[in-house]
Amino acid sequence: MPLFGKSQKSPADVVKALKESVNSLEKGDKKAEKAQEDVSKNLVLIKNMLYGTSDAEPQTDIIVAQLAQELYNSNLLLLLIQNLNRIDFEGKKDVAQVFNNILRRQIGTRCPTVEYICTKPEILFTLMTGYELQEIALNCGTMLRECARYEALAKIMLHSDDFYNFFTYVEVSTFDIASDAFSTFKELLTRHKMLCAEFLEQNYDKVFTHYQRLLNSDNYVTRRQSLKLLGELLLDRHNFTVMTRYISNPENLKLMMNMLKERSRNIQFEAFHVFKVFVANPNKPKPILDILLRNQDKLVDFLMKFHTDRAEDEQFNDEKAYLIRQIKELRPAAGH
Amino acid sequence: MDKEMCNISKRLVDEEEVVEVEEEEEEDDQSERELSNRIFSVDSAEEEEMDEKEKMLNIANLDEPIGGGGGGGWANDDCDEDLDNVNFFHRVNSDQIIYQTKKRKLKLIGKYVMGDLLGEGSYGKVKEMLDTVTLCRRAVKILKQRRLRRIPNGEQNVQSEIKLLKKLKHKNVISLVDVLYNEEKQKMYLIMEFCVGSLQGMLESTPKKKFPLFQAHNYFTQLIDGLEYLHSMRVIHKDLKPGNLLLTLEGDLKISDLGVAETIDLFAEDDTCHNGQGSPAFQPPEIANGLESFPGFKVDIWSAGVTLYNLTTGLYPFEGDNIYRLYENIGKGEFTIPEDIENPLRDLLLGMLRKEPEERLNLQEIRQHPWFGRKPPRNSYEVAVPPMAGDQLHNMTVLPYLRDHFYDDDYEDVEDGDYSTTAGNAAATRTADTVAGAEHDEYDEDDDGVRYYTERDLNEERRKIDEEHKNGGSAQMNNYHHQHQHCTKRRWKKPISCITVKRLPGCKQS
Repeated sequence: MPLFGKSQKSPADVVKALKESVNSLEKGDKKAEKAQEDVSKNLVLIKNMLYGTSDAEPQTDIIVAQLAQELYNSNLLLLLIQNLNRIDFEGKKDVAQVFNNILRRQIGTRCPTVEYICTKPEILFTLMTGYELQEIALNCGTMLRECARYEALAKIMLHSDDFYNFFTYVEVSTFDIASDAFSTFKELLTRHKMLCAEFLEQNYDKVFTHYQRLLNSDNYVTRRQSLKLLGELLLDRHNFTVMTRYISNPENLKLMMNMLKERSRNIQFEAFHVFKVFVANPNKPKPILDILLRNQDKLVDFLMKFHTDRAEDEQFNDEKAYLIRQIKELRPAAGH
Repeated sequence: MDKEMCNISKRLVDEEEVVEVEEEEEEDDQSERELSNRIFSVDSAEEEEMDEKEKMLNIANLDEPIGGGGGGGWANDDCDEDLDNVNFFHRVNSDQIIYQTKKRKLKLIGKYVMGDLLGEGSYGKVKEMLDTVTLCRRAVKILKQRRLRRIPNGEQNVQSEIKLLKKLKHKNVISLVDVLYNEEKQKMYLIMEFCVGSLQGMLESTPKKKFPLFQAHNYFTQLIDGLEYLHSMRVIHKDLKPGNLLLTLEGDLKISDLGVAETIDLFAEDDTCHNGQGSPAFQPPEIANGLESFPGFKVDIWSAGVTLYNLTTGLYPFEGDNIYRLYENIGKGEFTIPEDIENPLRDLLLGMLRKEPEERLNLQEIRQHPWFGRKPPRNSYEVAVPPMAGDQLHNMTVLPYLRDHFYDDDYEDVEDGDYSTTAGNAAATRTADTVAGAEHDEYDEDDDGVRYYTERDLNEERRKIDEEHKNGGSAQMNNYHHQHQHCTKRRWKKPISCITVKRLPGCKQS
């Protein structure tokens, strides 16, 4: 404790003061300016307890535990996130730092904050809607991705209706927000392999109907990123069932064949990596086989001329040669 | 420093042609055999009678102390070979030992400058390298076609490893940066991320051959992360063991050596495998019992379990006097865990080492296991990566080569080759301290660039220098003269710090 200056406030005091100031900020009365100042000041106090400052160490575990407990009991985390857009610029960043630190807290094998958020999923949903407000989107993004690291929280987010809003967020016109949303989206769909596979299997129709929209987006970046992620998802062994289902649908094949002819070479290339799975499938359903047979010669011609300048990329050339051979050898199914 | 580095890389490009010519001159085997910068030659008749092979083995044994266990670190699969040759001794009288400072010849492979040896495996040497364009430290695995052909499936394994590594990209899986070929010398250079050593090397450097729990936990969680990625890419590693887990300077674990890894088909219904070629002590009962087919992913779980057992206890769950006994013991699947291993960990080990693959934990269950989720307290010192050639800090070994190439030579030219600057001298002093770096070199009688001393010469020099030091530093100039005359005969370099006396020909004093 410093010899001079104000004596250290207890966690309970700070939390109480912060809660009051956020509340008056929310009301937006004439004292708003004063409230704004108080919020910033108390946030800095909390942040310093957790992280320390240049001349003070972080507080002891006991103080931090008290602080966490106060934060849970006062429901302040939710309140802060709900009013995040009213807090000033530095304050927004402090909220994210405090949130992430408290989230990572561990006692033995337990993560008390994760358990707390599981009982208050509104926190997650509020964070997700944060993408709709430009001024707080990126702050919410960092908090969301921290949450997504925990399987229990990722599960709540994936299985919520709000998850489908991501399909809109990743397409917004502000580039940094769209790409931030995309990285959160990707994290949710790839981080916890078993959970994701299960989710995709259970919600296959809904997810892939939405996903189709991304692949057809007018936004080049969205189209390219989502196509790349699709390739990664399908080729991940955990998503085997999803992959077999995806490559049995002739509509998906048609889409990929069209994307092979896109103007952008990058999109052509990513489409190739999805297209190859349709062709390599040893048990092609009849509709798929029919489409390939109908286009047999055209496809062979096309692939022969496809990205011939990638001489360096051995794997690509091997795969291309394999596909050409496969397509040449295609014959109508027996009994047809 | 940065500035200097930039200059060097720029100049390298200029002099690339020159260097390549030098490289041609070097006889490949010999040049690859250099270990450290200090060498002593044995000048005896018997020596000449030794056949080539014996010589090589002799060197291989002498390697050990230098690598500080690191020699075994990289990809050593066959300790047996080493053991067979341990009792090869060769007595040499001390006056016959000639110390020699080997001039570090700069060697350029493509855009990479070669550094010192990091370790050696059954497939070839691993050396440090510096990328002259990005200035990234790299490691290079040098593979000789000739040697590969002698290893069963050698060439095939290497090709499949290259193909695999190109596809993989994960923090905990070693990444392949570049592949270069030299058709003429029949060599292949696999340029990879730079790692300082393997868990095996670290274990061997500790008295109990184990890590404190918090350290083992840290490596194990990284192993599981990397393994989960491999499995999601349909890759079964099949040879997980501490020797194949490398560490970067930042302490990131990298799963390496995918030589016997198998990729299961994209459309395979399950992960059935038919063969295993990994290290015996880490093989699961289904392989030890010679089953025709078995689930592949569970093989890695078992090996990861044996690895965890080894990291935390310093022992192996299964042992045997020979491979048959070992496989017999593994096949039974009965093992004990030392008393001091307490429950969450004990339970995890039992779960990962269940005899029936179907009952063995999967990655998901390991992740959810109480021991996995809980970091053990940091209650003791962390085991450090053992020093490389006495260097605890693992400094870049490429730098001395660059220094010698760009400064030493120039200076000699200027001074008419009379005596060289002190660049190599710090090195010479070290020779005396640690006569570890031993190698036979065939730069015989090559007066240009190689100097020979007997032990007596060395002692004499040391005495002289001591005296000079007593006389005080003011006599520096005289020393130079003295040195000058002396060195015309033997080209002995005065062992003082290279920084104090060194004059850089390329640099003007500012």
